[in-house]
Amino acid sequence: MSPGIVAIEYVLPPGSFSLQELADAELLASSPGQLQDFGFDRCYISSEPADELALRAAAALIKNADVEPDSIDLLLYASALSKNHQLATDDSLSGFNYPAAKIQYELGLTRANVAGISQAGCTGLNYAIKFASDFLQANDNANRILCVSADVLPKGSKREILYNVISDGACALLIERRPERNRIIAQRSITKGYYWDCISRKNEIMAAYFPTAKNLFQELLRATECDPKDLRMVLPHNVSLRSWEILLDLIGVRKDQLFSENISKKGHVIGADNWINLKDAMTSGVLKPGDKLLAFNFGFGANWTAVLIEH
Amino acid sequence: MRQTVLITGGTGMVGRELLPKLCSDEAVEKVIVLTRRTAQSLPNRKIQLVHGDVCKPDLGLHETCRQSIAPHITTIIHGASETSFHLELSEARAINVGGVKNVLRFATDCPRLKAFCHLSTVYVAGKRTGVIRENDLRHDCGFVNSYEQSKYEAEELLSSQAHRLPIAIVRLSTVLGRSTDGTVTKTGAIHSALRFLFHSLAPLVPGTDESPLDLIALDYAAESVALLALQQFVPGATWHICGGSDAFSLAEFLEQTLELFYQNRPAWRKRSIEKPAIVNLKTFELFVKSIEDLGDSVLKNSVFVLKSSAPQLAYPKLISDVETQRTLSCCGVARPRIRDFYPKVIRFLLENNWEAMPQAQASLSIRQ
Repeated sequence: MSPGIVAIEYVLPPGSFSLQELADAELLASSPGQLQDFGFDRCYISSEPADELALRAAAALIKNADVEPDSIDLLLYASALSKNHQLATDDSLSGFNYPAAKIQYELGLTRANVAGISQAGCTGLNYAIKFASDFLQANDNANRILCVSADVLPKGSKREILYNVISDGACALLIERRPERNRIIAQRSITKGYYWDCISRKNEIMAAYFPTAKNLFQELLRATECDPKDLRMVLPHNVSLRSWEILLDLIGVRKDQLFSENISKKGHVIGADNWINLKDAMTSGVLKPGDKLLAFNFGFGANWTAVLIEH
Repeated sequence: MRQTVLITGGTGMVGRELLPKLCSDEAVEKVIVLTRRTAQSLPNRKIQLVHGDVCKPDLGLHETCRQSIAPHITTIIHGASETSFHLELSEARAINVGGVKNVLRFATDCPRLKAFCHLSTVYVAGKRTGVIRENDLRHDCGFVNSYEQSKYEAEELLSSQAHRLPIAIVRLSTVLGRSTDGTVTKTGAIHSALRFLFHSLAPLVPGTDESPLDLIALDYAAESVALLALQQFVPGATWHICGGSDAFSLAEFLEQTLELFYQNRPAWRKRSIEKPAIVNLKTFELFVKSIEDLGDSVLKNSVFVLKSSAPQLAYPKLISDVETQRTLSCCGVARPRIRDFYPKVIRFLLENNWEAMPQAQASLSIRQ
């Protein structure tokens, strides 16, 4: 049996802001109307640092999943921004103050090995899932892995990146060797280093997004002999609904198969979107055992990732 | 009979290639090139440049000039047209229909006229699908751009005058470059699309894998026009100078193009640029709208070019040249195979940084 995601918790900051409020605060590049056309409505902005959100999400997961902290074999901490991988002060030594180690200590994950995943943009948490699965399959004695993603944009940052409205937030996942549900059937990822410079290659990245995503989807579905029509749900990264309409057509998935409601409600929570959406879909009761779910994310770097799971 | 040819559009892509072929015909005594430009050197002793403009009454010719040339003209090749796909219909009509009106009027004053050869486009077929034959014209399927529609309307106008004048129509497909060495003398939408593809700026293409992409060699176009206008002219005829059954399928075209980029620029492979996705027209238009809404200049520029030409691929059609081939093959004109000359064109474009051959260089071939 392949590993799966047995528990999910996420944390969003208490304060959310409408597009108009963001525009008034000069935090948008496009007009609120334009972004509304793309499916956005608001976003969450944190006054806390990323590691605090990550700690709260991980603590909630350990409590609600009722697992012993020292049963965790590995902690993987992912964040898209390098600043979220440091608890830095003016002292240069503080560059080595890592949030992952802090979380391990605060939560008493005494047996857990700890590592961070950066430089994968918004796909960091999906890479964490991939590495967690590989780790479990390579280590017979390991059973339980905690993956945490946290992203908080620097204070005062624009909240719009490439026409998407960005939220701060954190998400924690528990990956186990023998899951009762959300078994990971297959994963695929593509990295294209040509697009490493996201400023000068901004246009090329936008153009490469669709055909690369299409190929990734198709390769994953072909390898698992899964027909797009058989997918119960696509768990999106919460980028523009317009871009999803295009991508859905490319991969032959109907619009009603997309769990899209969080695009307007929550915005694009960097690395956490797919799994916040899974948690909300589970909570809403629309999923039944055996449903096939496909999570897709894109991250600067550039990275494309897709995870096929069976609920 | 010694022939005097009046050509409009003689400085355009096909026109420039056509001039040496006209001049090399022993029956041709003189080639009069109507041009809006002034102070051009005479590239061949048979060529006479006259200053004029097809958009103006009497072709903008000075009265003495008009009187001196009209009595001698035996053949008119009307190639001048506005080939931009982005114009408002009224602007395209002004040149492509208005120009035909003016040339027709002038033609009635040419007592020795034996042949009026109008250069058109195979895309007067607009949004029609299926097999398009040489004698097909009228349809109500609509058009992808103003160029197609204005050229269609021009053909309708010519058709209405066919009882009065010896008119024939030569419809050209998309001209790529010379089959001999791949030289591109003027870039158009197809060359821009290839450049965008190279730079990873053309992610979606409308159509289906099987949509035919009909491309022809410049030298074949010119040789065919010269032959049909001078030696094989038949009043009332319509000819298709196109790839016909030799056309690429869209999927093969994209595959070949990327492979040629790899071959010519091995370092390009490192970019791992994906082959564009072939999508339905609705999705393509949604993508175009998204880019236009976003207002990013580089991608906007790409979709600006693609949106007025690429949608033609969503109306798959096989342009038939069966009748034309019969005529051309009898005269020894062979249609170059796209799979043979396409690699040369790609190499030329890459080696010349996507620029056409400078006009001065291109005109050297006219002198020879």
